[in-house]
Amino acid sequence: MNLIKRLAVGALAGVLAVSLVACGGTTPASSAAPGASSAAATTGSNILNVMVEVEVASLDPQLATDGTSFEVIADYTDGLMQMDSTGKAVAAIAESYDLSDDGMTYTFHLRKDATWSNGDPVTADDFVFGWQRAADPANASEYSYMLSDIGQIKNAAEIIAGEKPVTDLGVTAVDANTLKVELNVPVSYFLSLMYFPTFYPINRAFYEGLATGTFGTSPETVLSNGAFVLDSYEPATLAFSLVKNPNYYNAADVKLDGLNYQVIKDSQQAFLSYQNGDLDIVKLSGDQVDQVTGDPELNVVGAGYMWYITMNGHDVPALNNANMRLAITNAMDRASIVNDVVKDGSVATYTAVPPQFATGPDGTDFSADQTRFADVCSDDAAKAAEYYEKAKEELGQDTFTFELLLEDQTETQNVAAVLKEQIEKALPGVTLNLKVEPKKQRVEDIQNGNYEVCLTRWGPDYADPMTYLNMWVTDNSNNYGLWSNTEYDQIIADCTTGKYITDAEARWSALYDAEKIVMDEAVIAPLYTKADANMIKSNVSNIEFHPVALNRVYKNAVKG
Amino acid sequence: MKRYIFKRVLISVFTLLAITLVLFTLLQLMPGSPFNDEKLNESQRAVLDAKYGLDQPLVVQFGRYVANLVKGDFGVSYNISKNTPISQLVQTRLPVSINVGGMAVGLGALVGLLLGIVAALNRGTAADTIATIISVLGVSVPSYVFALALSYVFGFELSWLPMLYDTKAAFASSILPSIALSMFTMASIARFTRNEMLEVMGSDYMLLAESKGVHGAPLIMRHALRNTLIPIITVLAPLIVDLMTGSLVVEKIFSIPGVGSLLVTAIQSNDYNVVIALSFIYSAMYIGIMLVVDILYGIIDPRIRLSKDSGDAASGRPGFFARWAKVWGGSSKKKAVKVHE
Repeated sequence: MNLIKRLAVGALAGVLAVSLVACGGTTPASSAAPGASSAAATTGSNILNVMVEVEVASLDPQLATDGTSFEVIADYTDGLMQMDSTGKAVAAIAESYDLSDDGMTYTFHLRKDATWSNGDPVTADDFVFGWQRAADPANASEYSYMLSDIGQIKNAAEIIAGEKPVTDLGVTAVDANTLKVELNVPVSYFLSLMYFPTFYPINRAFYEGLATGTFGTSPETVLSNGAFVLDSYEPATLAFSLVKNPNYYNAADVKLDGLNYQVIKDSQQAFLSYQNGDLDIVKLSGDQVDQVTGDPELNVVGAGYMWYITMNGHDVPALNNANMRLAITNAMDRASIVNDVVKDGSVATYTAVPPQFATGPDGTDFSADQTRFADVCSDDAAKAAEYYEKAKEELGQDTFTFELLLEDQTETQNVAAVLKEQIEKALPGVTLNLKVEPKKQRVEDIQNGNYEVCLTRWGPDYADPMTYLNMWVTDNSNNYGLWSNTEYDQIIADCTTGKYITDAEARWSALYDAEKIVMDEAVIAPLYTKADANMIKSNVSNIEFHPVALNRVYKNAVKG
Repeated sequence: MKRYIFKRVLISVFTLLAITLVLFTLLQLMPGSPFNDEKLNESQRAVLDAKYGLDQPLVVQFGRYVANLVKGDFGVSYNISKNTPISQLVQTRLPVSINVGGMAVGLGALVGLLLGIVAALNRGTAADTIATIISVLGVSVPSYVFALALSYVFGFELSWLPMLYDTKAAFASSILPSIALSMFTMASIARFTRNEMLEVMGSDYMLLAESKGVHGAPLIMRHALRNTLIPIITVLAPLIVDLMTGSLVVEKIFSIPGVGSLLVTAIQSNDYNVVIALSFIYSAMYIGIMLVVDILYGIIDPRIRLSKDSGDAASGRPGFFARWAKVWGGSSKKKAVKVHE
């Protein structure tokens, strides 16, 4: 037994030893100074080191829904159109297009020199295949509504509902280089959808040659037709890289040799890595922005999405009163919230459509004028008090208690705490009780109408005011307060499928009319439009930032 | 002995099954669903739920899950990495966590032993006090504080070691997180060793050895240390698994592509399958290690073998909690065992 005892002790000691040796064994590079190796990667070459906050959720363009996935997919894939530095749709794989007189048929002419990284040409059928995948109910693509509700592609809605086969989708490959798209109605912003990854092509033969479920799980299981080629990647990886695509049709204009991505979830570590020189671009948290105010490397860009307050007028009688809602809207001090609480360059917002993402026929920002609705929405406690007096009279009561629902993020909680203070101070008798929930629960609750007042957000899906205004039509699933106004519904219908669709300027002014109704009735109380504060090394330039679809584009970026 | 092992294995399997069921039920009670986004409307959520079978009754889901589990299929991820088989995610990530955790245990055990021995041999002196202070710090300061401090000093200020995990320099990248993680193990082992060593030193057979003329190193190494080591092995084993669970935050700080950081992300995004799979793996590892320890312990300690022969294998031994109580209470293991002798 003594022998067994010795063996047993030896076995345990052995396990320990092996675990140590194993660690040492995997590291031929362990003798090299690791700090030096990463520094070399930064300074010695023309590779951009990029930080992202979350893992890539999917490299399948028809299944991806999040900003990080979109950014990476777009690094190596071109759609029919791409964004220029201002966000306007310009030619990419499609070198030109024709639009029929009725505005319902687009014919895209594809460039002949575009190839996939396996040498195949990029053909019209690759787009047909990609779009059919997006509409196919078997794939349950979360962004399938980009084809149906938003893109208005013929038969898309019926296919998604399972009523027609995918082959009925209104997109056809006329020949290898000609793609015909049929719409139900003219869609003024249709071209700007073409840079959205849901509309990206997939090489049909390549896809069908892969084992089921392996597409997009490694560099070998995706093809590139874009500026970069995936070099290293595995699902949910925290570090991956891309290299320049030498066969890209526009390779001469791509200045970077590659991109190194690093997922960092701890903002302090991310910032230190940037200061260390390991990263060329890093996203800052609000507190960090405070530390670097005035730093020339600080770069604040609009992130597009707007935080707003939704008030449940359907279930809470007091909130069904427009004067009550207007009182709340005017009681908020948005300037103080962005300057003293959020502090990252976010912009106080007084319009139902946030600024910085939609430009009109005349090339100006739809919401550049933030004082357009100043008479009904401003940081004005005195005006709030006036509305409040009217509301009290109409409702016949002078104390109100509302529950403000919010999610458990630090910034949101800070904002809510200040909002509570501001509103309770401006409207004596109003009590706001904060209810904090995890985001998923918060979303479920407002979708079920299970809330009174909620601090929520919305990011634009496409560069048109409709991405916001469409939410307030009767029965829209994002119209959480179940507000309804027939005049409003009519204007939105006219702008979507009716009389204004072929007249861009008339449509634009009708959209302002619709927005005015939302503001006059305080359907929502806009709060602020989020900004992203980035630190970018001074030797890096031309990274393009967009609030819609592709948040960061690197194909024109220059380092050094 | 065979019957003892068989019984233990059977209990382990049932424990695992029970854990899976509890996890399954708890996740159903959790707020929200994996597919809950402002951008999704009701019919889209219904389509997604149907696609992944989440619209089925819990019993059906559980039955199907266990059936797949037996085949080694943990299902696919819903959010973190859409439709990727979880076995694939775990395959690449588990070795990383085991590497870092293994280094931490090894380091913690070695340094802890040394500290404990030094403290015991120099009882009441400054060395003993210093060792005690280090132990108290190691136990009371959370590992992520060490992680942030180490990362700042050695990663940022001095640039000796990487701040973020680099798969191309896995060993160098593992050093700082291992040290941060090893502090608790080190402190526990140091305290335990000191207590155990002092007890052994005061025992009759040490007196006998000394009176027979054994002095210095041979006395410490052959007689004192050997007898101290055996019980330490039993506390070390559960610490190994504790390290893996304790590494959740440390993995996040160093961006280590391990299972710990994956679990955190999964919980935050309601990625049910990943949460269940990882919890299952953690539980399986824990139960597995406890099983091995139980069996080894039976082999090492003759008193347990003897008690087993009387047909009562498990009841008389100091269990997991008793062993841990000992670390902090300093009560004598010998006494605990004597009870059933």
